[in-house]
Amino acid sequence: MNKILLIIQREYLSRVKKKSFIIMTLLTPLIVAGFYGLIIYFSIQGLSGSVNKIAVVNENKTLTERLSSTKNNTYVYVDQSLVQMKASLKGSDFDYILYLPDFKLDNPQGIQILGTKQAGLTLNNKLSDGIEDLIRIQKLKESGLAQKDLDKLKSSVSIDTKKIGESGKEEDSSAGASTIIAYVAGILMFMFIMLYGIQVMRGVIEEKTSRIIEVMISSVKPFQLMMGKIVGIALVGLTQFILWIILTTAISTGVVKVFLSEKDKKEVSANAQVKDNSKKIREAVDNGPVANVQKALANLDVTKIVSMFVFYFIGGYLFYSALYAAIGSAVDSETETQQFMFPVMMPLLLGYSLSLSVVTNDPYGSMAFWLSIIPFTSPIAMMVRLPYGVPEWQLALSIALLILGFVGTVWMASRIYRVGILMYGKKPSLKEMIKWFTYKN
Amino acid sequence: MLIIKNIVKQYAAHRALDDVSLEIEKGKIFGLLGPNGAGKTSLIRIITQITAPDSGEVIFNGERLNANHIAQIGYLPEERGLYKKMEIGEQVLYLARLKGLSTAEATKRVKYWFEKLEMGSWWNKKVEDLSKGMQQKVQFVATILHNPELIILDEPFSGFDPVNADIIKNEILELNKQGSTFIFSTHRMESVEELCDNIALIHRSKKILDGTVEGIKEQYRNNTYRVEYEGQYDTSLASDIFEVLQQQEVKGKTTLKVQLRPDKNANQLLAALLPSVAIHRLDEVIPTMNDIFIDQVKQKN
Repeated sequence: MNKILLIIQREYLSRVKKKSFIIMTLLTPLIVAGFYGLIIYFSIQGLSGSVNKIAVVNENKTLTERLSSTKNNTYVYVDQSLVQMKASLKGSDFDYILYLPDFKLDNPQGIQILGTKQAGLTLNNKLSDGIEDLIRIQKLKESGLAQKDLDKLKSSVSIDTKKIGESGKEEDSSAGASTIIAYVAGILMFMFIMLYGIQVMRGVIEEKTSRIIEVMISSVKPFQLMMGKIVGIALVGLTQFILWIILTTAISTGVVKVFLSEKDKKEVSANAQVKDNSKKIREAVDNGPVANVQKALANLDVTKIVSMFVFYFIGGYLFYSALYAAIGSAVDSETETQQFMFPVMMPLLLGYSLSLSVVTNDPYGSMAFWLSIIPFTSPIAMMVRLPYGVPEWQLALSIALLILGFVGTVWMASRIYRVGILMYGKKPSLKEMIKWFTYKN
Repeated sequence: MLIIKNIVKQYAAHRALDDVSLEIEKGKIFGLLGPNGAGKTSLIRIITQITAPDSGEVIFNGERLNANHIAQIGYLPEERGLYKKMEIGEQVLYLARLKGLSTAEATKRVKYWFEKLEMGSWWNKKVEDLSKGMQQKVQFVATILHNPELIILDEPFSGFDPVNADIIKNEILELNKQGSTFIFSTHRMESVEELCDNIALIHRSKKILDGTVEGIKEQYRNNTYRVEYEGQYDTSLASDIFEVLQQQEVKGKTTLKVQLRPDKNANQLLAALLPSVAIHRLDEVIPTMNDIFIDQVKQKN
């Protein structure tokens, strides 16, 4: 036992002291915070951002309805012809010319948007939606509907997502925020299992190629060496995870503070326009994606998600890193690992891609259920499902199976490992590795 | 101190050790010889408990070999290495602590040995910054640091320059004087004759020869002499005393390699030659371990 502790200590310290570890651990939260800042910045920019001024040249005689200006687009109907407008566009304050030719309502063709810069996809979509609306209203009017009836047809829909909790109480939740958290958790889990699993493999190969392995196992049992390495590297992963959470929270809080204080500064200003802007910024911060995440975080059981993340990281990591250790023991160099990496990577990749597509779309479906139960995919799939809420019994079953799973892979891997580490030369086939499994000591 | 009884080790289609028995006495230097692939490493791995035999047993100091003995054995494998990115001092400490030494005790001993072998300035260096010979020295220290009763050295001199090889040889002899038992696995015979008290020759998974170095040499003495003289002598006159194995003449000097007839001795050989020629030299041709080794291995092939 004492020997395992020594090995864990060495594996842990030798990695944590590395420059690359320190840089990665400090840099990543900065990058995340940077993104966080960008999201806030753009959500504010998007609301108070540029307004397109569009000159509408309407040559259509049947279309008498007019486009009404929106937040981002101002429409001005001009009496000039298209040719005149084109000629004067540069000197005018218009950004674009919308040209509506004299088409039939049943067959609207030849509509153009012209500008000194190309119109973006969003503008294009907005315009076609707007014109489609115009034509519909025009047609409805022609069929004899009065303006007041038309007004009745208009409705604006916004759906509040609520979840009925355990106690039957309604809880605020946000499908969007759950999805974001599910994605982040899924991606993080995938990254952690991959990165640290491969570190275990590298460590084993390093001991083999540097030929220290025989010295080591004349002092300790192969199982102790393998487990010491796996646990030591797991602790490195946890250290990094915890530091990331602490640093990211600290830096992100700082970023939000900076934006909020800027907002306050603007509020002090007497300028009406700025005041208007600052209201928008407040809206952005209070209702935008950032706030959504923060609101959802407040409603989600964060402690549960973080603690489950730690559990599934350890479980999934043990499950896979044991397999990686077995692979590392069987080969002489990293280039030889490809053939064995594939079967091990497959379920993880599959779990990752299915979790982020199928499970986020239908977190309660049978696919989501199975993916989150089977140990090969459960660390990722369950993390993705958790923000949406998972029945307790499913969580318990998944945890139990994952524990069984990693005990199984660790046992299997240790049997291959103890033979593999002493084998040099020819790369073994899968069949040979299975044969090693049956070797006596 | 170490008794190996009827060890068999089978790897899939290959039998690495076939009913091998040995006895190694306390305080001796025991040479384990054999060509590559004979089974030496397999046997050592069983003694160091890296693998277990399929049948047979190993008795260490009267007890069946078990995990408690790990701390009493020091092993320098032929394929050896160190953690490349780890500092030397830290690394040797780590290896010593894995053998059960406390940190304080290990530090004391590492310092002692580093001082003794003039490695004091290496403490904070990384393995990758050392030459191969320096690495070997570090490894030797790591092997003996926990003061083991049994020290197993697999090709210990490979990679050493003559100066360092001599330093290490003297350390081995000194440790041996203090009571450590050595197993010495090698196919370099000249070091065997210098160091070993006993040897065993393993070939194709079987032990084909064992005993003391003198005993074996005695056994392989076959009354062969080399004689060098000046002058002319008709060897056919003395055919009842010896048989000529080899004859060579260089610048009027003749060198004969002869084997005496069973009941004859060197005096009779000299008596036959003296009247006719001037003797320059006479010596007995004792087979070197190298000769015996090659002879034995060839015989079995």
